[in-house]
Amino acid sequence: MTKRTRYFMFGSVTVLLVGLCTGLVAFYTGMPMGAFGRPDGPAELRYVPADATLVAFANVQDVMRSEFRQKLRAAITDDEHGQAEFQKQTGIDIEHDIDHVVAFVEPGSGDDNHNGMVIAAGRFEAGRLEALAREHEGLIEEYKGKRLVTVVGDRGHDEKPHGDTFTVAFLDPGLIALGQTGVVKRSIDRQGGQSVLDNHEMMNLVHDLDSANAWAVGRFDTLISQARLPEGVAGQIPAVRWFSASGHINGGLRGTIRAEARDEQAGQNLRDVVQGFMALAKMQASQKPELTALMNSIQLSGTGKTVSLNFEVPSQIIDAFSEAHRRAED
Amino acid sequence: METRTTRAMPSLLTSSLRVFDLSLGEMLWSRRTVFLALIVGGPVVISIILRIVDLMNVPAMRVNGVKMAGPSIFGLLIWFLFLRFIVPILGIFYGTSLIADEVEDKTITYLFTRPIPRSAVLLGKYLAYLASTVLIVLPSVMFVYFLVVPIGGGGIAGTFPNLVRDLGLLAVGLAAYGALFAAVGAWVKRPVLLGLFFAFGFEPFALAVPGYLKRFTIAFYTQGLVPEAMPQESLISLLQSFFHETVSPLEGVLTLLVITGLSLALAARAVERREYVLEQ
Repeated sequence: MTKRTRYFMFGSVTVLLVGLCTGLVAFYTGMPMGAFGRPDGPAELRYVPADATLVAFANVQDVMRSEFRQKLRAAITDDEHGQAEFQKQTGIDIEHDIDHVVAFVEPGSGDDNHNGMVIAAGRFEAGRLEALAREHEGLIEEYKGKRLVTVVGDRGHDEKPHGDTFTVAFLDPGLIALGQTGVVKRSIDRQGGQSVLDNHEMMNLVHDLDSANAWAVGRFDTLISQARLPEGVAGQIPAVRWFSASGHINGGLRGTIRAEARDEQAGQNLRDVVQGFMALAKMQASQKPELTALMNSIQLSGTGKTVSLNFEVPSQIIDAFSEAHRRAED
Repeated sequence: METRTTRAMPSLLTSSLRVFDLSLGEMLWSRRTVFLALIVGGPVVISIILRIVDLMNVPAMRVNGVKMAGPSIFGLLIWFLFLRFIVPILGIFYGTSLIADEVEDKTITYLFTRPIPRSAVLLGKYLAYLASTVLIVLPSVMFVYFLVVPIGGGGIAGTFPNLVRDLGLLAVGLAAYGALFAAVGAWVKRPVLLGLFFAFGFEPFALAVPGYLKRFTIAFYTQGLVPEAMPQESLISLLQSFFHETVSPLEGVLTLLVITGLSLALAARAVERREYVLEQ
């Protein structure tokens, strides 16, 4: 056997052994998928609890710059009041300061049904936010190396706070968390520990929403059970376990709503119900030409437990609506 | 008094290992290796492209609008590229040439005049074929695995047992196809055409029709070892699921080993008995 052949055999066997040993170590230690690949979803998901009932993401810059939003803004003139109010309260200009946001809802305890938090990535001036907090009698503190700016909510006549406290935390440079103080602190505690990234069911749904610039994924049954709906209403709600909604906003809006029913029978029932509603809506839309394109774009699909609804809202629909609105005002 | 020193003929195993030692280098550094490298490098290149596409946040592969996970893509590559294409084609081109090349190069005489059993030539060359293909194909699969499985968040930890099973399956597949085509090469004059017809004509057809015909293929038994890796969307797979006939993994492995042993025995018998006429 020549030296060249021996080197080749040694190289091949080495590749095999290194691969098998790596795989074996991964198998026995449960090596996280991020070790060899890019984890799904934004990096901020590491702050989201594993038992979150709802997780949402929006690429704010994509949405704000989209032609669809520009048209919507022209059609609806009063959508900036909320934005201005938010800026007044927090000093954050959503349109220019925030790149993307991740929001989640986690199950609460006792009377508190749901707790939520928003994590925003962008450009934030800590000094300006702290000054604003001081103006609102806010507290500034350090918690596990992170700076927290806390504003007390409603105050009673005795000037003692009995409402929730709202906190803005500077998690990392260019990354802030906004939410109830307890939730924010728990998120900081969670760093390096269990997060939604370890929730395989939810991450499988996140995995399918890759190209969307806005999406939400949630445990439908948990959300409904905590919504305290009247028994008659709760009984009518389809047996859906998970749902996801995603949208790609650019010239228009292209969206997908997907639901995973409890079993195949429930999935079939849900498809039948949606099919019925679609037929009804198409019948109604036939009298309104501006809705016809939207209704024609809706497609129902899915097999087994899955029900999927795809739709497309072209920017022309916004034009048609604003035209109709203008005519009605005239 | 005249004394004669006689050297005992080495055993079949020793002789085979000597031929293996000689043939491995020849096989690895021949022109055929370029072909082998191209065939085996294809899936690695495809995997690199898929991985780059995934890193650019574009879904690598979609089925019915749903992004395919890395382990599913890996299963597809193993089934369609490796098991249904690379393994049979390596078996055809290497297996049929074990003896045919020596006949064509008119070097078979040198081997047959050595004091070793004739069948040792075939067995040694077969072992060299198995070593060279296994040492090229399996590392290629390893690269493909680590490139493809993490796509879309696929986990190495959960899919490692499948990798080990796939590596074993590919080795058994290479052994079975190689042995079968070595026998074909030893018995038939134009073995490549027959091999191509068997692997890409007869096998897909036999797998798709009901009845016992599929039991005369190798793919039927390799398929029995990885029923879940076989994509369910293709027409042939749907037909197969309709007729619903698969073998258990144990039966699959045992049958493949029997095919290998039987084919090698037939090939060895042909080499021992056949008279190879070298064209002048």
